[in-house]
Amino acid sequence: MAASNAEPMPEVVTEAIVVIDLVESTLTSNLFGWYAVGRQVIRDLRALIGEVGESRGLRCLRSTGDGYLLTFHDPQSAERAALHAVEAVFELLNRVTHRNREVPEERALNLRCAVHLGEVDIVSNDREGPHVSLAFRLEEISRASLPAALNPIPPEQFPLQNYVLCSEEVAGILSRRASPWEMVSIGLLKLKGFPGWREVFLVLPEDHPVDLGMGMRVS
Amino acid sequence: MEVQTPLRKPLALVFCDIAGFTHLMAQEGDLVASALLREFYERAGRLGREHHSLMVKFFGDGFLAAFERVDDVMPFVISVESLLSENPTFVGRSLGFKFSLHYGDVLYIETSYGNDVLGEEVNIAGHLNDLAQPHEIVISQAALERMPSNYQARAGASESRQFKRVGDVEFRRVSLLGS
Repeated sequence: MAASNAEPMPEVVTEAIVVIDLVESTLTSNLFGWYAVGRQVIRDLRALIGEVGESRGLRCLRSTGDGYLLTFHDPQSAERAALHAVEAVFELLNRVTHRNREVPEERALNLRCAVHLGEVDIVSNDREGPHVSLAFRLEEISRASLPAALNPIPPEQFPLQNYVLCSEEVAGILSRRASPWEMVSIGLLKLKGFPGWREVFLVLPEDHPVDLGMGMRVS
Repeated sequence: MEVQTPLRKPLALVFCDIAGFTHLMAQEGDLVASALLREFYERAGRLGREHHSLMVKFFGDGFLAAFERVDDVMPFVISVESLLSENPTFVGRSLGFKFSLHYGDVLYIETSYGNDVLGEEVNIAGHLNDLAQPHEIVISQAALERMPSNYQARAGASESRQFKRVGDVEFRRVSLLGS
């Protein structure tokens, strides 16, 4: 059915957009069962996201099937929303690490996370717009994407799971705001549906020991 | 296997991007699009070897090729462009090639996925490609100065664009129509 022209325009806000994907969730559910393992794993993830996001301006939390789309808002400063988003994602990864030590291997949570900032349309507990698509494109980047990048880091040095990627926009904010996180350019990539080359950054947690070879550090 | 030592050397860097590919995929479907890409990779790779390229790296609907001699670039570009009018896979489709050329010092390395070139100059060549129109090559001043005089004479007015971490880059456009 075609949308009515009389439908009000959605509210547009600038938010930090986070896409979190559960690594190998389909495989886990197929191997160990959705009701036995998969459902609890995704519920645990939702609960952890709620815990780390609540005090950091989490506004939207929507399931994407094997992960979540989140947005963070700061009424005073859009840039601060990006900082809160990155902080929340690292706190989530910390909690996931602790949780994984306590549970059987098949119930472990392993994540791929991507953070972007941009204007989004607010639709009931959801977000729409090209910036949302861009965040999903960032999340899709993996080791296998690097041979097609310009100035890539060596693919072997790209983590397989539990990492945070961010867009140029977010990297710029983290850099300007003297955030505690270090960023490494993983290269310039073409993202499907978006024109031109886009530089993508791996955000490293504080005191991260990894040497990423020829990657270009920006902070 | 002997591992090559990374080598810093001045190279001519050519980018090519197929304009109209996304539209083609939407209109004719994935099968046609992937067949066209296979043909493009095969032909462009072969032309690269024939014109003495050090490497051709493909990504999506484009490629990056590196040459030691700038003189080899335009014959290569023109032969790729002529695929549009001579190769049955391309003829009659609304496609155009957008090229860019830059010259500078890069690190030429062997990687787990083949040979590659690294350095800020690669990004410049890539960003210049975003400025090109179909059937056109955008050439940085650094590359143009090293090109044969007949191509220098064909170059359009000087333009410049600012790129992150690099500053202003001067370039000119050369039409490939009728080449």
